[in-house]
Amino acid sequence: MSADLERALDRISRVRGVRGSMYVAADDGLVVAQLLMETVNGKAVAALAAALARKVGGAASATGAGRVRFLRMDAADGTLLIVPAPRDLLVVALTDPRVNVGLCRLEMMRAAEAAA
Amino acid sequence: MPEDIRALSTVLAADPASLVYVDLAEVLRRRGDLEQALRVVNGGLTRHPEHADGLDCLGRIHASRDDLPRAREAWGRALAVAPDHPGALKGMGFALFREGDAHGALAVLERALEVAPADDGARRALDTVRRALGVESAVPALAPARPQPAVVPATAPCAPSVAAVGAAADAAAELPPVFRGLEGATADILLFDDRGLVVAGGLNGADGADVSALAAAGLAGVSSEAERTAQYLALGAWTTIVAEADRANLVLAPVGPGALLLVRRERGMPVGLALRVAERAHAAASAWLARQGE
Repeated sequence: MSADLERALDRISRVRGVRGSMYVAADDGLVVAQLLMETVNGKAVAALAAALARKVGGAASATGAGRVRFLRMDAADGTLLIVPAPRDLLVVALTDPRVNVGLCRLEMMRAAEAAA
Repeated sequence: MPEDIRALSTVLAADPASLVYVDLAEVLRRRGDLEQALRVVNGGLTRHPEHADGLDCLGRIHASRDDLPRAREAWGRALAVAPDHPGALKGMGFALFREGDAHGALAVLERALEVAPADDGARRALDTVRRALGVESAVPALAPARPQPAVVPATAPCAPSVAAVGAAADAAAELPPVFRGLEGATADILLFDDRGLVVAGGLNGADGADVSALAAAGLAGVSSEAERTAQYLALGAWTTIVAEADRANLVLAPVGPGALLLVRRERGMPVGLALRVAERAHAAASAWLARQGE
């Protein structure tokens, strides 16, 4: 993992409530770099996040909304955040339900820029 | 037994190798007798395993059963036998679109129109996909354009869900006014079920055309993906998906079992405000659905 990517993930993971963050290859859902709590299954998060991003991306086109820039799935016990990044990557964060989404989003956008 | 089924059954009984099995299966499918339709078409395909019309019919039956993977497989087999089979091309376009691959659907439907340029169903489906992708239509219409939002293989109302989607969209003006009083009640708020059927509200494209059915078909797959993701990651039930996109922000939420709500707001509206609107729409939809169950 390059130092830039590592720093970017570290900044995301410092947001209170973030359980882990990673760069994921958008096309095959494989982990490129990750910083996770021990309890988080990185491979599963990566694969599922990529699949969800693909599905929502296609559906967003159908609604005329255009290309998705930020995706958030809220669930009872956690939140999954996804930001498309250059080089066909996704920045993904798995968080507690009460996380500061705005702050996490900012750090993820920075992380996406770091991947350029 | 209806007369047409009786007649076709008689022909097939007299000559089990007859290709009339496709007609019989199709009639059964249209009447909603999907299991019998499946038995008939599988029987025919046992004798004629490379009969493209039969494989196309099998695809339509699976689509009617909401079994998209098998439908796609059947249409793929039909295209392997007859690469220019119009029905299979349209079916494959439908399947790809339902799976979120609008670009793939575009390519297949363009091919469908190349091989059958007079096929108005293929033309409408192609126009719909082009609109969804923001691609200008390069194909002049043979007939005056009419809003036709669903990607429907035109050989038949191939899946009840798809046919109903088209019918529902055509009858958009008759949909129940669930979101009355909310801004964008019939243009930016959509209630649909997890099979892609429009229930209430409406969604217009940038050109003002009704894209409700198209959106419902595309978004129905998001729900199952979200469920799978939440389940695998032990996140509990998913409550909301927010997508910030180039031209609009989308909020998607389940409304009771089997129903989904989409609220679209322009990109400039803060997401927090869009979520508030979605909460109101959710409350309206929940109350309305509860009344339907009374």
